[in-house]
Amino acid sequence: MNPTKRCAACKYLRRRCPKDCIFSPYFPPTDPDKFACVHRIYGAGNVSKMLQQIPVQARAEAVESLCFEAKCRVEDPVYGCVGIISLLQTQIQKTQSQIAQTQAEITIAQTQSSQFM
Amino acid sequence: MGGPGSSPCASCKLLRRRCAKDCIFAPYFPPDDPHKFAIVHKVFGASNVSKMLQELPVHQRADAVNSLVFEANARVRDPVYGCVGAISYLQNQVSQLQMQLAVAQAEILCIQMQHEPTLQSHHQVLELDQDHKALLLNNNNNINNCGNNNNNNNLGYAMSAGQFNSNFASPSSIMQMQMQMQMQDPLKQESLWT
Repeated sequence: MNPTKRCAACKYLRRRCPKDCIFSPYFPPTDPDKFACVHRIYGAGNVSKMLQQIPVQARAEAVESLCFEAKCRVEDPVYGCVGIISLLQTQIQKTQSQIAQTQAEITIAQTQSSQFM
Repeated sequence: MGGPGSSPCASCKLLRRRCAKDCIFAPYFPPDDPHKFAIVHKVFGASNVSKMLQELPVHQRADAVNSLVFEANARVRDPVYGCVGAISYLQNQVSQLQMQLAVAQAEILCIQMQHEPTLQSHHQVLELDQDHKALLLNNNNNINNCGNNNNNNNLGYAMSAGQFNSNFASPSSIMQMQMQMQMQDPLKQESLWT
């Protein structure tokens, strides 16, 4: 196997990249940071195990979500992507409250309007 | 805490090793909840968790462990999307609610304008801009489509809904956007862990 055609994972792990390498479809050598980030949080062995348990057609999506979560964890080592979930839930509560308030104002305005008619 | 004479923590039990007095896992993985460490170990690996905790100040480690457990549970429930499925679902919910809010605000603006006849004259006709007109026309459709997607802490539905957009914005840009809209409210909620 030509060493220059190793995937990013095998390059990082300094090993031969076999034809059936589980990482190579998802970690091209042009993006070494992608695997480095995932490896830092999950470890190559865990990623490999996770991918093996997923059907082939779903693995690309799984890798993207793992990369996203790993990036979140690197940027926020305490909360990771759970911080984003928390923010979104708070935002939802706030918007629901604003909607309720606005709808109450509409009801009042409509009532006042019908009284004047 | 681990140590001679005391029960080993859940991590050391699973890893079948002596639980040292200064075991980094012991404060967060008590022996009465073996599943907690098992799931984190399955997704992240004990050595990765240990490294992550070592890089954090002690007062932040409990929250870090809780968030790792949350993520690990999400990943086990949904091996393809994990937490990202929930994020995608919640983002859709936010978009729908913001649209509802815009419609409601346009409606109240309309009503207020109807009550201000002095703003209208033979020569000046106030018109809604195109966006507000479109929103009012689509009012009923959008509100009806929101359905029963209520916000709750059980993300089980969110996991299976899994509306996935593979073109993610970066985590930092998503957080910045959300923080701007958050208007500096407290970012983290204890209730997320319960």
